[in-house]
Order: sequence, then structure tokens, then C-alpha cells
Amino acid sequence: MPLEHPILLTRVPTPPWGDFADRKTVSYADYTKQRGYAALEQAIGMQPKDITEVIKQAELRGRGGAGFPAGMKWSFLPPQDGGQRFLAINADESEPATFKDQVLIEFDPHLIIEGIAICMRACQIDTAYFYIRGEYHHHRDCFENAIKEAYENKVFGEGSRMGKVNERWPNLYLQRGAGAYICGEETALLESLEGKRGWPRIKPPFPAVAGAFGRPTIINNVETLATVPPIVLNGVEWFKSHGKGRPEGAPPQVPASFGTKLFGISGPVKRPGVYEEHLGIPLRKLIEDYGGGLLPGKQFKAAFHGGISMGVLDANEYDAPMDFDIGKKYNNLGLGTACPTIIPHDVSMVAMARNCARFYSHESCGQCTPCREGGNWLYKILSRIEQGDGTMKDLDLLLEIASSMGSMPGTTICGLADGANWAIRTIVNKFWSEFENAVSKARFVSLAQVGG
Amino acid sequence: MAWITKNSATLKIDRREKPYLSDAIKKDFQERMFPRYPNKQAATIPLLHAIQDEHNYLPYQAIEEAAEFLGLPASVVLDTATFYEEFFLQPRGKYTVWVCQSVACEIMGNQKLVEKLSDKLGIAPGETTDDGKITLLNVECIGACGGAPCALVNHKLHENLNADNVEQILEGLD
Ligand SMILES: Cc1cc2nc3c(=O)[nH]c(=O)nc-3n(C[C@H](O)[C@H](O)[C@H](O)COP(=O)(O)O)c2cc1C
Ligand code: SF4
Ligand code: FES
Repeated sequence: MPLEHPILLTRVPTPPWGDFADRKTVSYADYTKQRGYAALEQAIGMQPKDITEVIKQAELRGRGGAGFPAGMKWSFLPPQDGGQRFLAINADESEPATFKDQVLIEFDPHLIIEGIAICMRACQIDTAYFYIRGEYHHHRDCFENAIKEAYENKVFGEGSRMGKVNERWPNLYLQRGAGAYICGEETALLESLEGKRGWPRIKPPFPAVAGAFGRPTIINNVETLATVPPIVLNGVEWFKSHGKGRPEGAPPQVPASFGTKLFGISGPVKRPGVYEEHLGIPLRKLIEDYGGGLLPGKQFKAAFHGGISMGVLDANEYDAPMDFDIGKKYNNLGLGTACPTIIPHDVSMVAMARNCARFYSHESCGQCTPCREGGNWLYKILSRIEQGDGTMKDLDLLLEIASSMGSMPGTTICGLADGANWAIRTIVNKFWSEFENAVSKARFVSLAQVGG
Repeated sequence: MAWITKNSATLKIDRREKPYLSDAIKKDFQERMFPRYPNKQAATIPLLHAIQDEHNYLPYQAIEEAAEFLGLPASVVLDTATFYEEFFLQPRGKYTVWVCQSVACEIMGNQKLVEKLSDKLGIAPGETTDDGKITLLNVECIGACGGAPCALVNHKLHENLNADNVEQILEGLD
């Protein structure tokens, strides 16, 4: 069943319900005309722990990449002690091929702000920082303006309709990043927020216990929080009638994929853009029904289905359902950001792997040796293979380096190295013959010998 | 590359009388920004942005002034400044052209844009034109993949570029 009504994009014209060209920023006034801030009113009338319980029951999973249950995260906070508690909203959106959050930030910022306010109410948080990547200039202006409207209308600040929390009036501030992919990792984001270099922290302690400025902190993705108001307003059952439940008879530990999701489609398709559908929609359907299919003359070869760090799906996996189970079923790291980039038949997978390796070697924060060194070596080897100077041995070496880089909890502090591992490994493994072809024509003998 | 820090051992610092950190910025931070955080260090990145927005780069003297204002050692502020790619510690062109080189943009032909721009400007990525007007850079994904290939010129985003229309992004830059 295709999605009948958009939920996150209700006010943001999107095919098939509307036209991209009609998108404009929804003001506070327009937002409230369409039941905006009704969910916050409802939440203000509820006990904080009951709001968290609703989100838990709804089984809302994080939309930032890892799919961690949001309600469970919220319930990890220790009891209040009178001191400050923080919310950091992750609007860093720097994963290559990912551009979903920006649509909400630009066009429906109050949906996010309402979600932020409800989260603050549920978790008894007094101060929130909206950490937005430095390159989103226009988006920053839109959001800054929406924050101003929210203050004027007593969502935040002195006299806030939420009342005082931890003896403070609740505040929301925009914090501008400065161009570092790693600051999307939640603890690097906190370091950056504190004015330091974005070096991920070793966990534990987890941010819920000791996060920003050593205080209890919740970190959620933009889209996760934007999904909160509709859940509070319409209820758990309603939410769970969207998306994909767990298979019949599966125990509750098996993660389900309830709700809708933003999907940002890019690459050679007729109508790239950000769409909304049920979680679980097959990739092919998404591309054909929403993206308009591939451009004339292009054939589907593979896709980065959820940002490059999740790895790739090949042509045999084109029908894979886009849900949280995709990792286990189709041998990749997971759903990630659910923003598929189509790789057409005439693009080389060696080039794609080289592009990914360059990204990771460039963006590694440098703390962990396997990540800092591994990324660089992957890039060097892949560049060599691309130029026609690789050997068979290089392919084994690629796989060896990649798999020794990641696998948390293991050799590295954060998940960037896992992303590098999965991106390179799935590309090489799923397109082995293409790599074999690339090295069999080698003109030179490789000089690199690692491990004999 | 975040983990390669600048060599500061042989650094020569040009100084000038007039401070880079203006009184207006100081006042704004004291009144509006510092109250946002439990400590002053957290204002580092916003402060560096504010200074850079005014001067187009961060001279070392400005870093020292920022450090003093924040009550931090200059080395701590330098440490932060060198980590982030948006901060320029050397002068750059009046306009910076960032061409995205990540996967969606590569698939959609970003290489042609870079070639065309390099050709037209007479510089390679990473360089600045002799008249100090334009700096050309490759960047990783700028979050506009639906409009690939794309580029930023200072704060302005240009999408759906190709070899034919890419020169337009240079038009109107004075
Ligand atoms: C290297 C790296 C980069 C990340 N970048 C982002 C990002 O840009 N945006 C985001 O929301 N989450 C990002 N994450 C995931 C965050 O660490 C975190 O899981 C997420 O923000 C939690 O929010 P959620 O539970 O609402 O999804 C990144 C993780 C890693 C390891
Ligand atoms: S895995 Fe890489 S990016 Fe993450 S902390 Fe280690 S070196 Fe930094
Ligand atoms: S890949 Fe170029 S903007 Fe995302």
C-alpha cells in the first residue's frame, strides 16, 4: 500500500501529493493553522515519563543512521539533580549522498522545533543546541528565523509555555558547525559544541549520563525529532499502522520498522529529490514510482542505499525492502540515512570505491591508528588499481585492511571506520569480477608488499 | 585533512595595530553568546566564524585575540581552528568556489565542472587566482545530492551544473 498522506512532509509539497516547485518555508502562523504545536500542548498536559513511554511504545527508531530506539535512549537519563540537562539535535547531515534533513530544516522548521520542545518536556531538558553543518547557509537562516518565531510565541525563553525546567526557562540555540564530517558522530558533536576539535569520545560514559559539559545529554537526529509530534498527536496505534512490523511470531527483541521515512534519491534518475514513504518500500519501487526511474539509456548497476557507509546493493538486490532489516538480509551495514544514490551501468565500481576511500581518509579524525592509516592505504591502493597498476594481491589487501578497520566495539573509537570497512568491502565483494578485470590488465608489478 | 595540523614551529606572525576582534563582536558575544553556554570555551567556533565572516580568513593574531577574549591559551584555540575545514588560516580569494566531489556528484559528472573551471580560471583546485578573487576547492558532499553535480560559491548553492552552464556561477562576482 503506497502512503496515503505524507506525515513528515504534510506541509512540504512533494510528489505525488504536490509539486517541488511550490515548496516554501512554513511560518509559525501557517504551522499553527495546520494543527501545529497541538502536540506540544498535549505533551505539556502529560507527565514527562508518560511522553517517553508513548515514544517507547511507538518503537520509534532513530533516523540518523544507527536506528537506535528513541524512547529507550530518552529513558537512559538519570533522575534530575537540579543541574542543567542538554539536548543536541544532530543536523550535521554530512554523510555522502544524504540530503534528507535539509528539506525539513528549510521548509518546515517548526515541525522540528515542536519535536525538540516535546523531547525537552519528556526528558526534563532545559537547554537544546541545534548543531547544523556549516555548509547549510540558507537553511541556517531559515531555522534561525523559525527559532526567533518560536521565542516570540513563548515556546522557549522567559515565560515559555513549558514553564521552568531544572529551575531554568527552556532555551533552543542554533550552533553552526565548521566543515567536518566527523562532527556528525554524536560524541564528536559534543566536543565540537564545547569548542574543541571534533574528536569522538570513548564510551562509556554514554552521553545520557555524561554528555555535553559533563552533564546528561540526549542526541537525536532532526528527522527522529520531527517524527515525534505526529506520534504524540495521533497515538501509538496510528503510528504503528505505518511502515513494517516484525515478521509474524517474531519475539519483541526483533527490531521492527514502524513509521514513514524520508528518502533522498540522487544519481541518474528522472526526478531526484526527497520523498516520503512507508519504511519497507522496495528500493526499485522507490526509484521507479518516486524518482521517475532511471534516465534514458541508463541501467541500474548498484546503489548506495543509505549513505556510502552502509555499502552497496547490486542489481540482484534492487528489490530490497528499505527497512531496518536490510543490513542483515542483504549483507550491508544497515539502512543508514535511507538516501539511495543510483550507480548506473557506465560508472566503474573501482572509481566508486576510490571515491569512498578518499572520503574516509580525508575525514578520519586521526585518533585511531587503523582508521587513520587504513583509510589512506585504501585510497592509495584503489587509486593504483583505477590507473591500471593493481595486482590480484591488492584485492586481498584491500579486504584485509578494510575488515581490520572497523567492527565496533573493536579497534576504533567511533563508527567512521566501520563505514569505511563496509563501503569498501561490499563494493569489492559484490563486484569482484570487475575488480579482477581491473587488475588483470596491470601494466606494472605492484611495489607494495604488506605481510609478505 | 583534519588530522594534519599546521606546522606552527616555524610560523611567522604578521601583526598589526588594529585588533581583528572588533568591539562589536565582543559586545555581541558578551551579551548574546556567552549566556548560551556553561563556559566560554564553547563560544570558540561561533567566535571564529564571526571573525572570519568579517576578514575572510583567520590571521594568527586574530586567534590570539580570540583566545585572550575567551580566557584560553592561544594553542587551544589554534587546535580547534586547524581542525575544521571551513576555517582558513591563510588569506584566500574573495570568493571561494567549492565543487562537490562525493559519489552522487562524481556519478553526475563533477569532473567536467572542475576541468572547465580550472581552465577558465587558470588555476588547479586548491589554488587562488593571481588577482586574489577566486579560490577553487574540491569538497566532500555538501548535502545537495538531489541537484548533483553542485557547487557552493561563498554562501550560494548552485545545483544541476554541467560543462555548459558552470561558468554562470562565476558571473556577477565583482
Ligand atoms: C562518522 C559518523 C557520522 C555521523 N553523522 C551523522 C549525521 O551527520 N547526522 C546524524 O543525525 N547522525 C550521524 N551519525 C549518527 C550519530 O552518531 C547518532 O547515532 C545519531 O545522531 C543519533 O540520533 P538518532 O538516534 O535520532 O538517529 C554519525 C555517526 C558516525 C559514526
Ligand atoms: S574511528 Fe576514525 S574517525 Fe572515529 S575516532 Fe577513530 S580515527 Fe577518529
Ligand atoms: S554528493 Fe555532491 S552534494 Fe552530496
